[in-house]
Amino acid sequence: MNIIKSDIVVVGGGGAGLRAALAAHQSDPGLSISLISKVVPMRSHTVAAEGGSAGVIRDEDSLDKHFDDTVSGGDWLCDQDAVQYFVEHCTEEMIQLEHWGCPWSRQDDGRVNVRFFGGMTVQRTWFAADKSGFHILHTLFQTSLKYPAIRRYDEFFVADLLVEDGRVRGVLAIEIATGAFFLFDCKTVILCTGGAARVYSQNTNAGIVTGEGMGMAYRHGVALRDMEFVQYHPTALAGTGILITEGCRGEGAILTNRHGYRYLQDYGLGPLDPWPRPKAMELGPRDRLSQAFWHEDQKGNTIETSQGRVVNLDLRHLGAQKIHERLPLITEVARTFVGIDPVTQPIPVRPAAHYTMGGIACNRWTETALPGLYAAGECSSVGIHGANRLGSNSLAEIVVFGRVAGERAAAYARELPDGDSRSIRQQAEESASRLLALLECQSGERVATLRDELGASMETGIGIFREDSGMRATCDTLAGLRARYRAGIKLDDRSRAFNTEWLSAIELGFMLEVAEAMAHSAVQRQESRGAHVRLDAYQTRDDDRYLTHSLARYSGDGPPTIDYAPVTITRSSPQTRHYGGAGQRAELT
Amino acid sequence: MPDATTRTIEIECFRYDPETDAKPRFQRYQVPFTDDMSVLQGLQYIKDHLDGSLTFRWSCRMAICGSCGKMINGVPQLSCHSFLRDYYPRRVRVEPLNHFPVIRDLVIDQSGFLDHLETVKPYLIPKEEQPLAAGPQRQTPLQMDRYYQYSQCINCLLCYSACPQFGLNPDFTGPAALALLHRYNADSRDQGWSARREVTNAEEGVWSCTLVGYCSEVCPKGVDPAHAINQNKVNSTLDYFGILKFLLPRGDAK
Amino acid sequence: MSRFQSTAKTYIRPMSGWWLKNPYFIRYMIREGSAVFLTLYALVLLAGLACLAWSPEAYAAWRGLLDTPLSLGFHVIALLLVAYHSLTWFQVMPKTAPKLPFDPRLIVRGGLAASAGLSLLILVLLWWVTR
Repeated sequence: MNIIKSDIVVVGGGGAGLRAALAAHQSDPGLSISLISKVVPMRSHTVAAEGGSAGVIRDEDSLDKHFDDTVSGGDWLCDQDAVQYFVEHCTEEMIQLEHWGCPWSRQDDGRVNVRFFGGMTVQRTWFAADKSGFHILHTLFQTSLKYPAIRRYDEFFVADLLVEDGRVRGVLAIEIATGAFFLFDCKTVILCTGGAARVYSQNTNAGIVTGEGMGMAYRHGVALRDMEFVQYHPTALAGTGILITEGCRGEGAILTNRHGYRYLQDYGLGPLDPWPRPKAMELGPRDRLSQAFWHEDQKGNTIETSQGRVVNLDLRHLGAQKIHERLPLITEVARTFVGIDPVTQPIPVRPAAHYTMGGIACNRWTETALPGLYAAGECSSVGIHGANRLGSNSLAEIVVFGRVAGERAAAYARELPDGDSRSIRQQAEESASRLLALLECQSGERVATLRDELGASMETGIGIFREDSGMRATCDTLAGLRARYRAGIKLDDRSRAFNTEWLSAIELGFMLEVAEAMAHSAVQRQESRGAHVRLDAYQTRDDDRYLTHSLARYSGDGPPTIDYAPVTITRSSPQTRHYGGAGQRAELT
Repeated sequence: MPDATTRTIEIECFRYDPETDAKPRFQRYQVPFTDDMSVLQGLQYIKDHLDGSLTFRWSCRMAICGSCGKMINGVPQLSCHSFLRDYYPRRVRVEPLNHFPVIRDLVIDQSGFLDHLETVKPYLIPKEEQPLAAGPQRQTPLQMDRYYQYSQCINCLLCYSACPQFGLNPDFTGPAALALLHRYNADSRDQGWSARREVTNAEEGVWSCTLVGYCSEVCPKGVDPAHAINQNKVNSTLDYFGILKFLLPRGDAK
Repeated sequence: MSRFQSTAKTYIRPMSGWWLKNPYFIRYMIREGSAVFLTLYALVLLAGLACLAWSPEAYAAWRGLLDTPLSLGFHVIALLLVAYHSLTWFQVMPKTAPKLPFDPRLIVRGGLAASAGLSLLILVLLWWVTR
């Protein structure tokens, strides 16, 4: 076992992890920081975010409007103290990225341009064409190269947390290239491992988004909060699930069904005119748009293709120049993956699982219940997304709370004396031997068999719409899959060097448990709220019983226990969410 | 929309396991495919159903993360961005990216590139740090246009496997890293020319390039690294004769 | 940032014969090789000039050498390669220019047109002088 000592370990090299490492270093350059990532940082899934990142900058906008859009978008399940902190710090983080070189799209006079996103009162989304995540990630990664005190461990797979005397004291990782085990002995760990939407078969996520950060914290007793809220992005390519950014609609694209009819007007998002106007029609929130697709599909108004049923996302009226300037990536994606030029043909789209609103429960300072453990980004539930995340809040979240996590962890590490963490060595050895047992298992099923069954079951039971029987069936399926997983996974590959089949098997273990947390949280929430919409007896929001966060707790081989914690409400009491309706026509810049 | 009928194609993969093999070998697989399937999806089919030991990198599936570059029939390409239908009925031969050491099967050792990237100081070097309270700096679309294309690099390394000079001399800083060097030098917010001078002017810098030009051909993002490098041969020469400092519009942070 | 250096064992593929493995590289090598013929041709001309300065006999001998099949073959090859060299020279030219506000292919086409025009002009002049 190789042992590496440092003050702070950051797990994950996406936007949140890089921002955390930079913040930790800048708040105390004397600290040693290890940044561990299972891919080289610029491959992280932040790279695939397209549309942009929120930050109040226009004169007619205000922090209150951003706050209100976020809280109503989240169907009042947001922790409002966290939202307040968040909206107050988004813009400075966007400026920080600009100072680090991020090529935000500009207006003719050189000022930063902003665009509309769904559910927004005012244009607020900073964008770098339709490659915002890509530019943010590369800017952060390249900036981090300035600081040698941040030591990078690329392509190291973190498989376990090491806890001593109730404090996190290290992580166990596998160096992927050699298969060797490494113990990272540290004072504090920041998890920035991203979401878990790969548990769905149709998803917009990269292959690496398998939720093991959530899974690790969960196995060590930290609750997973609000896991039933999984966002379906309304516009993804059928089959592959590749994302077609909300930025398209922010620029004025429309959705039509097989009759060429803008069906959103039938689902509380109309009337049609004046168009475009904020928070109406195609600028409605993601949960509503995905749900409207489902209804259209039930009515037979969708279009049958070899990849399943779709609706049309029509950009043609924007004209070639605007499409090429503002949406180059989706133009290329549409051409390559569906053979369609968006200048002349609409893009066939359907909803796909996109984002886990829930995650590792933490307070607004990113502290979890396990001392020394911090979480930021999609893996965390800091409380700003509630039951449905507002588009363009996630890129802002990774930098705002990535920074908080870095600074908090730095302060924590500074205060904690050098410990004598002897028992973590033994814990690491035990954990490593369990992982090796997985590698050496002689019989069982293939990784892909279990993974595909998991994806299909989540899709049918815990999808856009849910009902009791379906959710229960998925819970049963997941319990069965976990039992089959314990019975053994047979690997073709017994080698230690770059054994990705072994890593997939480890990931699958975490995915099954995280999916179980989602399914059980969902079945026990007897109401409809945000992205959790039921078709059975619980079709409306029930603030009396369920204006609460769900907390899923690990209980070994059995299903999780679910309990609840209050939502922090400071100034916005629950109301009906209003979209569509009368409103002023908006000018798109 | 693509045709949904299933056909079968033969994929021939480069195999090398450092623990058991002294030399690489090739292995063939019969893969059923539909018209919309990428070469990457073909490899995933093999991994899931035929041979779990076949090893390759991939992640985003949409040509933006830069993980899945391979030699496909001898041409460096993103495997998520090339399609089996375009090779059928011939066999597809998949190898790890040329000019890099092989860790295993289709996985290359990218550490050489990561070191080169670090040497070009790929971050803004302003004369003085701006306080955040100053707000975003202004940059007109015209100023952006001078560097924007070079900022599109996804570090997929196709250009390195298109560059024989890098293959012959791994110390060559190489196309992507030098394109990023130019990306920052050309940014109106940067004054770091002299901080990057040494690596630019070095023999392993722009002068190792013999303008083969294939790097720009294979780039999936239109970065045109050959252009970035060769503009800087001119700059490097002007710098040598002491003329460049009069031509730098924004001065230099030193 | 500093990076952990792995000790993973790797396999390094040989570079031998690299330029035969891709038509792009073959064309590149012809481009580079064409410079040799360009040099040789320049040397042949220089030798002629030297002979002219030396004596009428030497010049006649040089002209005699030009009349051999070997020399004719060399000149045909040199002509083709020089033409190819100028084509590639103009093709790479935009890569060395700063970012231009117009389509860089205009440089290539303009350069090729100019060189074709000048060659034609010289031919016409030669024809006119030797008529």
